[in-house]
Amino acid sequence: MSFREKTHWAALAGLLLGFGWYFLTYPWSIVGTPAGVMAVAGMLVPVTIIIIAVMAATAAFFAIRAPKEANLKEDERERTIHIRGTHAAYYPLVLGVWANIIAIFYRLSAGEHLNLLLATVVTAELVRVGSQLYFYRRGY
Amino acid sequence: MARLPFGNDIRTLRFLAGEMTQGDLGERVGVTRQTIAAIEQGKYSPSLEVAFRIAQVFGKPLEDVFRWEGDGG
Repeated sequence: MSFREKTHWAALAGLLLGFGWYFLTYPWSIVGTPAGVMAVAGMLVPVTIIIIAVMAATAAFFAIRAPKEANLKEDERERTIHIRGTHAAYYPLVLGVWANIIAIFYRLSAGEHLNLLLATVVTAELVRVGSQLYFYRRGY
Repeated sequence: MARLPFGNDIRTLRFLAGEMTQGDLGERVGVTRQTIAAIEQGKYSPSLEVAFRIAQVFGKPLEDVFRWEGDGG
């Protein structure tokens, strides 16, 4: 498994841990209130810390174990995998944006909009990282 | 996954070149070991540049490393 594939697994774990915690513990009963908006902002801080900590720790661990591999530049296959994953993530991103546009006409609260936007970004990221991992595992 | 319309003899050529490892070949070509493995297994179609670089490492013409196996070959 290449260094970049390992960091992708770390990104997936970080996303699942961070946003899994967020969506499971968010106080949905106050989502329609100003406090619900502040809760989003407040909870994004630990989420960001979780994701950065998981990714940094994993990258450092594997870079120390195999520094030569960590210093290798991204090659053409890895670049292609990167592009294909980003392309796959475009579709959930567009769907999420349209869902947000439609939600405006249903007069959703700011907190609900924020969470819908977050869910869109997280879904797109999961599709991006997930599809890249699939391509890494498949060979291309 | 669709099978690539060409095969290659990289594994044999590596063996004949003093049992060169995938990592060594990758280093000389400028790609990762995993990319060489994917090319060998016919999972990844390399760019023309990488194909030429692989042939150059073995001192062979391109057609001695890769061979067309598709229609109209």
